[in-house]
Amino acid sequence: MTDVDPVQRLLRTARDDARDESFRVTGVMMQYYVVCKRELWFHSRHIEIDRGNSAIVRGTHIDETAYSDKRRHVSIDSTIAIDVLDDGRVMEVKPSSALVEPAKLQLLYYLWYLKHVVGVEKSGVLAHPTERKREDVELTDETEQKVEDAIRGVHEIIARGSPPPASKKPVCDSCAYHDFCWSC
Amino acid sequence: MDRNYHIFSDGCLERHNDTVRLVTLDDEKKYLPIEKAEAIYLHGQIDYNTRLISFLNKHGTALHIFGWKDYYAGSVMPKRGQTSGRTLVEQVRAYDSPAQRTDIARKFVDGSIHNMRANVSYYNSRGHDFDSELASLDAAGARLTETTAVEEIMGVEATARRAYYSTFDSILPDGFVFNGRRYNPPTNEVNSLISFGNSLVYANVVSGIRATALDPAVSFLHEPGERRYSLALDIADLFKPLLADRVTFRLLNRQQLTPADFETDLNSCLLTEHGRKTFSKAFEETLEQTVEHPRLNRKVSYQYLLRIEAYKLKKHLLTGEEYVPFKRWW
Repeated sequence: MTDVDPVQRLLRTARDDARDESFRVTGVMMQYYVVCKRELWFHSRHIEIDRGNSAIVRGTHIDETAYSDKRRHVSIDSTIAIDVLDDGRVMEVKPSSALVEPAKLQLLYYLWYLKHVVGVEKSGVLAHPTERKREDVELTDETEQKVEDAIRGVHEIIARGSPPPASKKPVCDSCAYHDFCWSC
Repeated sequence: MDRNYHIFSDGCLERHNDTVRLVTLDDEKKYLPIEKAEAIYLHGQIDYNTRLISFLNKHGTALHIFGWKDYYAGSVMPKRGQTSGRTLVEQVRAYDSPAQRTDIARKFVDGSIHNMRANVSYYNSRGHDFDSELASLDAAGARLTETTAVEEIMGVEATARRAYYSTFDSILPDGFVFNGRRYNPPTNEVNSLISFGNSLVYANVVSGIRATALDPAVSFLHEPGERRYSLALDIADLFKPLLADRVTFRLLNRQQLTPADFETDLNSCLLTEHGRKTFSKAFEETLEQTVEHPRLNRKVSYQYLLRIEAYKLKKHLLTGEEYVPFKRWW
């Protein structure tokens, strides 16, 4: 494991049948990497979240109901769960555009994974149905670099023995880990 | 916040369409709002079947069963939503490390002493003179830092609890004598109330622990599995003064419970059904009381404090961040 680039390691293990679980990166991990690294660490330890949290309930509901006639859920390698539109583009649905950067990285990671692991090149669209907004997302040299840096960053965080310390952010208030994180 | 439902009548509890129905012996039907139910407490003789258990399981609702003499008889807990092997591994590892185990055990006792002291100090400022008991509690607390073994920590806890219990006879109204803790079965009214109250605290802690992936049988202060869910015993000790004891004092001092609410047998004294109803109603009201939480920046119910305690312990075990026991701060 020494000195192997996490990106190369992830690609090798993802293409292999006997996947190395410790190198698996999911879409939600990419998202957490941008939103909150402490949350990413909790998630990597399978610390359960409060499923009754209103933001989670809302997000799940929107994901399950929006554009249901036009998109198909596809799970690949039980690592990424994407929605494919009629026209072949990959769609990611988010309740609000408040956290657009993390959502974009998640979608870019899906496109990257499809290209490098599965071998198909797709373009993506990020949608905020409640705001009637859509944004096209494409993989470029620059965004591929961003994805790969994030994969390295994710591995660095989850390899730590303890989580990064808590720091107060605006998103904390709606986070499903809020009480777990802030009760001392 | 999710609620607890207490059933005192005899009869049958069943799933009826998409809700839970109680049919009493005189054929009266009552419906329980399952969506809001954290747990159902059975105090009477109730029949139920597997269909009900599957249904409660689906809603994550626990069933706590209360017997007669020993009060708490057992629980039917919902299947875990999520299990976490890592949490259990870390929990056992902490138990197995003498330094870490004594550290956690000491924290539990430190918190307990603080919370007992809060009650004594409250009555000390209301016409009682408990200076020497407060001094004993403080001395016990100071001794805690020197302890190196769990038995010593247990010893400190016992000393503190004796000092604490010695104040009860002055706090309680005339006609009620405590005269030290006796259980299995309780020998007088006060002991009977404390037993019942403690078993309600205990059952609520069991529910709180279940919200995490902690194993309720792996404990730090009490020996694991020594008696039922020993981790619940560890955590319940922190909350008994706040929940069980304060309700006991209040009900007796306001004469909401009188000698008529107890049945005295050869060498036991137990609450009547009416007495249990009165107590659990006051207890539930206490659980629903809220307090401003300094770190969460919102009001939380006393019941939620139990769940927070389980979160805190789990976080300590998984991250190494310090566990700070519940100490009444208001």
